Amino acid sequence: MTTVIQTQELSKRYGRRTALADCTLAVPAGRIVGLVGPNGAGKSTLLALTCGLISPSEGRITVLGSPPAADAAQLARVGFVAQDAPVYAGLSVADHLRLGARLNPGWDDGLARRRVERLGLDPAQKAGRLSGGQRAQLALTLAAAKRGELLILDEPVASLDPIARRAFLYDLLDFVGELGVTVVLSSHLLGDLTQVCDHLIVLARGRVQVAGDVADLLAVHHRIDGGTGALPPGSRVVHTDRGGPAVVYSPEPIAGAERTDLEDVGMAYMMAAEAAR
Amino acid sequence: MIWLTWRQFRTQALVAGAALAVLAAYLLVLGGQIRHGYATDVIGCAPEDCTISRRLFAGRFEAPVAIVSMLVIAAPGLIGAFWGAPLVARELETKTDRLVWNQSITRRRWLAVKLVTLGLAAVAVTGLLSLLLTWSASRYDQYVGGRFAAANFGARGVVPLGYAAFAFVLGVVVGLVLRRTVASMAIVIGLYAVLQIVVPLAIRAHIMPPVTTTVALNADTLAHANGFGLNSTSARIMGYTLPGSWSTDSVNQVFNADGTPFTAEQNRSCMTGEPAKDFDCLGTRNLHFQYTYQPGSRYWPFQWLELSAYSVLAAALSVFGFWWIRRRVS
Repeated sequence: MTTVIQTQELSKRYGRRTALADCTLAVPAGRIVGLVGPNGAGKSTLLALTCGLISPSEGRITVLGSPPAADAAQLARVGFVAQDAPVYAGLSVADHLRLGARLNPGWDDGLARRRVERLGLDPAQKAGRLSGGQRAQLALTLAAAKRGELLILDEPVASLDPIARRAFLYDLLDFVGELGVTVVLSSHLLGDLTQVCDHLIVLARGRVQVAGDVADLLAVHHRIDGGTGALPPGSRVVHTDRGGPAVVYSPEPIAGAERTDLEDVGMAYMMAAEAAR
Repeated sequence: MIWLTWRQFRTQALVAGAALAVLAAYLLVLGGQIRHGYATDVIGCAPEDCTISRRLFAGRFEAPVAIVSMLVIAAPGLIGAFWGAPLVARELETKTDRLVWNQSITRRRWLAVKLVTLGLAAVAVTGLLSLLLTWSASRYDQYVGGRFAAANFGARGVVPLGYAAFAFVLGVVVGLVLRRTVASMAIVIGLYAVLQIVVPLAIRAHIMPPVTTTVALNADTLAHANGFGLNSTSARIMGYTLPGSWSTDSVNQVFNADGTPFTAEQNRSCMTGEPAKDFDCLGTRNLHFQYTYQPGSRYWPFQWLELSAYSVLAAALSVFGFWWIRRRVS
């Protein structure tokens, strides 16, 4: 299994505030990776470290085998859409495509034009007059058409309404299949990610709570209603909702336990981190 | 990258181009008027009213030349504020740094292209203004002779090129560090104004040690002074300037040939009530004074030294900017 992002005890501090602590991760290639966590969990920090916008306070990170943003060649391999999908308000859609073509040697102009046409964006339109959804699509087009191996999207749907949100995510799924890239996308809403991702990282309070392929996570987490009795050795309760069902980690099957879903697992880890505060 | 630089700079370039065109047109007209005035009032004046017509020539062009000179000195500050300060600060404010610095180009390269392209534009605009003004006011400067004066020195020759490079890079670096456009613009204008006041008033004269000579007081030296003052213990010549030179003190005490102070008492025999006769009489008394100045031959060394100093500052600020953009931003 090749890894696209490898971090070791990665930390980032801003003054006395720790945004990310002790993060050790290995993100496998070819996945759609969901990075979930409440606001202020350190998602944007982790993604900014991954694309080299900021440098770590401690620890190491390698992306596709090199330090992030080490040189132009490394920058060409990673596409990034920052939170709120910033674009140049005074430049038109066509100007943005031209910008992409001028600044990226691997630019796929056909892909960019097809996509802009399919999305119904007017090339002459100033980017400042696009809707939030259109802006996000333009930024994604720009990041994708450079044809990197890794695409990072920071809260791509946060500012979109529920309909635009669904449309964006399903479009992304199709699009990613066509591109054959690894995608990391973050959200503070688990529901957005469970629809599309096949690898999940739960981040809370600056730390990684759990990470793994969705199938693996679902295999070792169980849902128990009405009190946890005797549990097999090596298992532990992740979180119990007051009086409600418990999510239990156990590599072994547990008698009487139900299957759980990704939403429950992610939520349990976030709640557990919140409760430990 | 050059395309993007131009695309983002287009509006500012048009505004600057329009301002430059207006000022250039005015300078050409002014140059024509000064040349015409010089030919008719200074060279071609009728001998009987030459003094008055020459004085009128100087008076007529004093205000226009001073105003345009101030504009040429101010231009680099405006360039620093309106071209330099927003260059990085605007990107950081609108978060487009996250867009552009994730294209396949390192941010140092991005900064290098922007600094070089727009820096050259800043130097070219200011250089053109300086060239036009130097040409336009040349006859006036030649006649009035105040080329070391603060407002003249900084608006002629090669020093404006240094101001432009420095102010532009200063704007970029302040914006890069502060991350706020408007605050950076204010700081750049403030810093530039302070430098344009402090350097001419307190620093420029000390760049090379001045020369001191003894000058004989006669009708010719009195003609190059603004006034002459006497009291019971001393006499002073005020505002004497050797043509083309830069006088470093404005008042000089006058002495007798034996080194004792010249006084009002000793001047009594020259007092007839007619100023012209009195001055002729004064000129025969074998008086002298100490004159400290920067010789006119140092004008171009001063220009090149100041250009070098500002260029070195601009280069040092650029180096700092390249370090900062890699290490500290985001």
